[in-house]
Amino acid sequence: MSDLRVLFVAHNHPTLHPGGAEAYSLELYEAMREQPGVEPVLLARIGSNVARRRVAHPGTPFSSVNDDPNQYFLFTETDHFDFFTLTSRDKSLYSRHLTDFLLAQRPDVVHLQHTHFIGVDLLSQIRRVLPDAAIVYTLHEFLPICNHHGQMVRTFADELCPEASPRRCNECFPEISPQSFFLRERFVKGHFANVDRFLAPSAQLMDKYLRWGIGSERIEVEEYGRLMPDRRAADPPQVKSPTNIGFFGQLSHFKGAEVMMEAMATVDPGVDAHLWLNGANLELQTQEFQEEFARLQEGLRGRVTFRGPYEHSELPKLMEDLHWALIPSIWWENSPLVIQEAFFHRRPIICSDIGGMAEKVRDGVDGLHFRGGDPVSLARTIERATTNPRLWRSLRDGIRDPYPMDAHVGKLLGLYEETIEQRKGVAVNA
Amino acid sequence: MPDAVKAKNGTRRRPRRAAEQTARLSAEVELVVGGGGVELRRSTAADEPRGSLKGLLRDELAALDAERRNEISAELAASPLVAEHPSLELSGSLYGIREALRERLPACAVDARQPVGLAVEQILAVDEGSFWITGWMHDEDGQGEVTVVSPEGIRIAVTKTAFRFERPDVVQFYSAQRGNSTRNHGFTAFFELPAPSLLTDGWIAELRTGEGAAVEIRCPSPVLDPLAVRATILGELGNRGPVGGELAAEHGRRALTRLQERIVAESEVDSVDIYGEPPSEPAISIVVPLYKRLDFIEHQFLQFSTDPDFAEAELVYVLDSVEQKDELAAKARELFALYKLPFKVVNLTAGAGFAGANRHGIEVSAAPQLLLLNSDVVPDRPGWMTAMREFYLAQEGIGALGPKLLYEDDSLQHAGLYFHRAPGAELWENAHCYKGLHRAFPAANVARPVPAVTAACMLIDRDRYEEVGGLPLHYVQGDYEDSELCLRLSGAGYENWYLPQVELYHLEGQSYVSDARRVPSEYNMWLHSEIWGDRIEELMAEFEPFDEGGEQ
Repeated sequence: MSDLRVLFVAHNHPTLHPGGAEAYSLELYEAMREQPGVEPVLLARIGSNVARRRVAHPGTPFSSVNDDPNQYFLFTETDHFDFFTLTSRDKSLYSRHLTDFLLAQRPDVVHLQHTHFIGVDLLSQIRRVLPDAAIVYTLHEFLPICNHHGQMVRTFADELCPEASPRRCNECFPEISPQSFFLRERFVKGHFANVDRFLAPSAQLMDKYLRWGIGSERIEVEEYGRLMPDRRAADPPQVKSPTNIGFFGQLSHFKGAEVMMEAMATVDPGVDAHLWLNGANLELQTQEFQEEFARLQEGLRGRVTFRGPYEHSELPKLMEDLHWALIPSIWWENSPLVIQEAFFHRRPIICSDIGGMAEKVRDGVDGLHFRGGDPVSLARTIERATTNPRLWRSLRDGIRDPYPMDAHVGKLLGLYEETIEQRKGVAVNA
Repeated sequence: MPDAVKAKNGTRRRPRRAAEQTARLSAEVELVVGGGGVELRRSTAADEPRGSLKGLLRDELAALDAERRNEISAELAASPLVAEHPSLELSGSLYGIREALRERLPACAVDARQPVGLAVEQILAVDEGSFWITGWMHDEDGQGEVTVVSPEGIRIAVTKTAFRFERPDVVQFYSAQRGNSTRNHGFTAFFELPAPSLLTDGWIAELRTGEGAAVEIRCPSPVLDPLAVRATILGELGNRGPVGGELAAEHGRRALTRLQERIVAESEVDSVDIYGEPPSEPAISIVVPLYKRLDFIEHQFLQFSTDPDFAEAELVYVLDSVEQKDELAAKARELFALYKLPFKVVNLTAGAGFAGANRHGIEVSAAPQLLLLNSDVVPDRPGWMTAMREFYLAQEGIGALGPKLLYEDDSLQHAGLYFHRAPGAELWENAHCYKGLHRAFPAANVARPVPAVTAACMLIDRDRYEEVGGLPLHYVQGDYEDSELCLRLSGAGYENWYLPQVELYHLEGQSYVSDARRVPSEYNMWLHSEIWGDRIEELMAEFEPFDEGGEQ
């Protein structure tokens, strides 16, 4: 029997754009490559370079990534992407180029990590070109549902949004008519109809998609599998004092940047806590945000240190002197990879009591919840965490190892086979 | 009209024909009036007496009616002798005849209240015998006819064949004239003259309307520079609906084909510089056109100089960007001193374009096999030429052979060409098999016959190349020359092959589709489909671009 050909589609390549979903996509691809009888191909979208120059070859959006013959870039012009309808304005991307790619590769399974910058039309085109292929789609956020950066947070007052509808979306975007939101939803769902199986890394994310209208028979929870790093950080940390708290990720409003800064300003001065910010993309945030952040940082010299961007491989080192990891996001999150990383290194987590954080971190078992978006609640939680060494040990002992990639790969392969079988049934019935 | 040419002055008679009078028009040509006609004749003995041209015209022809005088002027200008002995002197004399004979119409004043208007905005010299005219006319009913008169007197009824189009500006200009039914004021046309026109001044245009009005205007001097002419014609094609429409079919193709021929004809081999001692009986001639980018040569030299195959190869560079002659010579001397790789440099008198430059390079080369190579192609490893030659020789009935070409990141640039027609589209475009996929992609690693291969690196037998006429010259600024060559080969019964075992890098530049390139590209695509559409359809019925040959 010939190899199972699995095409992974990602919206970025981690060598160019660090990010959780990107890192996971590459790890999954690499893990699949190790499986006997599986030939994975990774297709990662790439945009213009920083000089706004097209980086694709003439006549094709495809190019090799490196020596690996099964890793490809797919170039799409960011300006050609319609961020509202989630489609490329350049339809030849589907009718011509992606069609050629699919015909050349002939995957048995297309597993999409993302369609951002590529467009949901790809889903229909896969079905047209390869009627038998299984289409699996991992959902990482709420972009298909929510026009507000896929966050499901209202545009006013940072109110969490449980549910989209043309009327509610129009409340968030008064200049966009409910009719437009209706068409957006119809368009996205029309293309989503071709997906055989959706995977949700968290139950709360699945719930929102169920509510949106994805049938329960087509969606299930499957956590991200992770490759375990070679070594763990020292356990317990070698440093006794101060109590070091680490933040990892983008410094942005939705990630709760202001919440944690304000909390640190509120923490009792007698409490010996230090916040380490390991994060990137501050320069991509709005001018207003950057100024506010600088202002908050100014008053917190000696208590908060900005360490800048980091490579994934540096994590064990960065975790070394930390006691706690902090996830103060004010949006739902999906299943933040930082949780798995902190747990792997046996670091309990302080996090918002909402969405994927509340689901993955158990309050009082392996971490502490505070009221999402509330700096005072966070300050009190930090004080509690800092002054109670026994609490730390007990939570540390409550930590379970993250979901290993092996188990994840095994689960996915089973799911691929099952879906391919189901499609055969469809083809026969049709 | 025998009376008209009756001799009046016996002293000017030539002895052989009683009623004949002559006047010298140029060193080779004279005018003869008499014996029932007016004609041009090759000059006979120089000592014979001849009359003055002015006097002859005045005495013999001035009395004729206007229509006949115009006819005579036109007939003389169209004489085969003008084509045989073109000279400025002859043209000047013909212009004199025209001016003496022709009836002057009232000059046309362009006035919004006048019922008649005429403008010629541009005359382009495609070559000495064919022109392109653009203008507009306005009359009572749109039925009027525009005749353009060459300085020598040839009359062409351009509106009979011209492409007509609406000119909103002209409509606006005459909008006060209610009830006017003139439509499609604009006209643009290619026209050919029966004999060359060499004078740049003196074109006129006449408008005769259905209601009997007649006016004339002086035309601007023709634009002569072939590249400016080409750009303007392409601009016309781009502005009049789809590039491959009626204008291209009726006018554009003939004009551009003649223009391309002229551009190539005006480029000759100026000199051939020989560095070192190329093999006297080479097995293969490598022809590399150079245009602007000379920095690639050094990279080719490095690779070629360490490849034993080059001992029996003749390496010929053709400089198409002629202004770089000195720069290239300096570079060639330095590189030869360093690499000791023998080669030739062909200098041209003028740029000939991709196909033309190849043609010149092939003409000065000698080997029975030709390798057409772009300057931005560098081999991955030595031995590639032998591998190609051996494959070629072993393959019966092979036409052109193209190897695998790679981008700098090891993606496929070339793994054979095929033709693609988008659903609902009329035109075929060239498409690359597996473009952008990795060099190791299994299906691209099978040698197979393909509809066409690129001329960026193409091996072909010289006899077969010449049998089918080589790279065509009629495409504008390159595009489809290689695929047409391959189509010609396939039409002659040969098969074109893709050979993946040979790998070279092709550092094809980023081609931004600027607007300046849009129209030539569309025109070329149209022309290619126009000529080869049927053959392509046959070929594509048998070709599967995504053949999984590697797995079978």
